[in-house]
Amino acid sequence: MEKVASLIIIIGTLLWLFSVLALEGRWQWQMFSALVLTIGIFWAHFWEELRETDNTEESNKSGEE
Amino acid sequence: MARERVSQADEWQAWAQRYDIEGGIRTFESGLTVKVFVGALFVGLLMMPGSIYLSYVSGESGAGAAPWVAVILFTELARRSFTTARRQELYMLLGLTGAAVGSGLQYRNFIWYAYFINTPQAASYEIADKIPDWIVPAGDSVGVLTRSLLHPDWLLPIGIYLAGKLLGTLRFVSGQYILFRLTADLERLPYPMAPISAQGATALAETTGKEETWRWRVFSIGSMAGLIWGFLYIGVPSLTGVMMSQPIQILKIPWIDFTQSIEGFAPTGVFALRTDFGQMLIGFVMPFPVIMAEFLTAMASQFIVNPQILYRYEILHQWSPGLDVRGVGLFNGLDFWISYGMGKNFSLAIVGMAASIPMLFKLRKSQKAAGERGSFATPPNRGDFPIWLMGLMWLIGMGGFVWLIHWMVPNFPLSFLLGYAFLYTPMNSYVTARTFGVLGRDLFEIPYLHEITFILSRYEEIDIWFAPLPDEDYGRGTQSWRVLELTGTTFTSNLAGTLLIMPILLVSGIVVLHFIWQIAPIPSAQYPFAQMMWPINATNECLWKTSLRDGNSQMLQAIRGDYVAAGLTSSLAIYGMLWVFKQPSMWFYGIIGGSGADPGSMIARLLGAIIGRFYMIKRFGMRRWYMFNPVLAAGFACGVGLIGMGTVAIALVSKAVIVKPF
Repeated sequence: MEKVASLIIIIGTLLWLFSVLALEGRWQWQMFSALVLTIGIFWAHFWEELRETDNTEESNKSGEE
Repeated sequence: MARERVSQADEWQAWAQRYDIEGGIRTFESGLTVKVFVGALFVGLLMMPGSIYLSYVSGESGAGAAPWVAVILFTELARRSFTTARRQELYMLLGLTGAAVGSGLQYRNFIWYAYFINTPQAASYEIADKIPDWIVPAGDSVGVLTRSLLHPDWLLPIGIYLAGKLLGTLRFVSGQYILFRLTADLERLPYPMAPISAQGATALAETTGKEETWRWRVFSIGSMAGLIWGFLYIGVPSLTGVMMSQPIQILKIPWIDFTQSIEGFAPTGVFALRTDFGQMLIGFVMPFPVIMAEFLTAMASQFIVNPQILYRYEILHQWSPGLDVRGVGLFNGLDFWISYGMGKNFSLAIVGMAASIPMLFKLRKSQKAAGERGSFATPPNRGDFPIWLMGLMWLIGMGGFVWLIHWMVPNFPLSFLLGYAFLYTPMNSYVTARTFGVLGRDLFEIPYLHEITFILSRYEEIDIWFAPLPDEDYGRGTQSWRVLELTGTTFTSNLAGTLLIMPILLVSGIVVLHFIWQIAPIPSAQYPFAQMMWPINATNECLWKTSLRDGNSQMLQAIRGDYVAAGLTSSLAIYGMLWVFKQPSMWFYGIIGGSGADPGSMIARLLGAIIGRFYMIKRFGMRRWYMFNPVLAAGFACGVGLIGMGTVAIALVSKAVIVKPF
């Protein structure tokens, strides 16, 4: 999941650089990059916050077994 | 070795733990005694004139000093009387003196609008005659022309202010308390920054013992440094200003402008060295990565981005040689940086939501697992209030406030006011309370909310810009209830102290501000900071207040979609890449703060951060240095505050004496 978040963020960043350098910084393309980046950042934070709980639950389960 | 990923919450909690020396106590006592009340009033009212005066002379009020002066006097008196001062008393003293010393500055908007209404800017933007009379009397009224706040012309603005203050107290006390119960009692959030605030009072409570501790020594060093600096920076110009028409400034207030010197190699760049080296102490306290990133980004903005990219591609097109920092800043802002800054602010909102919303899910999940949370039971003797009473107080306070705003701007749609008051405010406050509970700071903020509202409401009158809106945030204040808990101060004693001192402060604040206004017009040569900054502030205020008028205002023309998008997307990309490479989020906040900013305004803070990090920590060790920091800063503020108080006293006396020509 961490790698997916990183990949989305990198794609968003490259898309933004492309929109500025090759598409004259048109706001539509920039906003599209912003949308991709927002998804990536939300993904990253959800993974970051919920991973520990998942780990704990998993470790509890394995402990019970 | 791979870098370990640290979540934003862990990062900020780790920073806060440096200041968390002890865990707090769980037995509660009243902090309100007659000696605390009188002591707070005495020191607070004694230092209040100095703090108002300083804010107009140097831009810093030094109000932070007064509570510490009160506490130091109190503890010294206790030591010499062979008694001890309790931490509850000291914490209460800090709060009440802070309120007393700030009581004059709460009216500063009256002075500002009395100036603003007669500025050429307000006249040229055609808003001078449209400023409502509940903000300031007419520009040609006796109350404004004679600089008298005690004139009947001011009755309406002051009356409205007082009504708002009363209703605000009802709302904020009850709103904060309810949210505190929810987040601290029910959800058991840690409030990591609260121990830092609690530490000041608990530290000084120790000094009333027989042994003299390091704190007294550190406080004295800070005070002496503050006295010397205060004399050079504020004392000399203020005292010479009393005797001469043009005051002598050893260091130019508020900055030394190098903008014209750098325009040869960095056109459109600004560099004005801020001369208030008291800012070094902020550098001691703030996280090093934030300060460093802020400074480097500001340097890159002014020496690379502005001249080499934005100027070269004619994005910054209004600049011309010979402009000073204010002119260049204004034109650069209109050409690019205002738009970019808007995008930047939206990115902060997105990042804040991305960090705070998953926290809600996490806490819900862990709540089930722990099985302990969910209890509304309060610790014994904390002095709690019935929740229904607080709810009722909030409803009365908010209902009255909405009615007051509706009376002030009767044509503004009531539905917007009700939506803000009863939907947005509770939601916004709850989310902020949670982020404070976990991170110790606010993350959730929707930028340009007022502007968006005004556009959506299709309301075109200028008066709405002067009215308050009921979009409030009580989440920030929940931390102070946690500090009360940590110091063992009963809630009832704190509320009683606040309510008792309020009427005295409301009256004394306005009287003192009146006399300070009588010394000389504000702004004038007597008040260099106001003289330098207020004209540019007036222009900015005119630009904003007319931004939605007729659909083709200067401000609307300045806002460009592609630049706003650039601000938003570049900031998100920076945040995202820092996350990908597992770098601290503090770098992001530094970069965002520094982009487009003047690096000269950060030199003092940077020096403080470097000295702290590379000398002080090595010399004293990290733990001791972070123990010294708040006490040293308090001592310094105390020294500067004393100088301010002395100079305003001399200025007031000299104005009261009439020199006869024979």
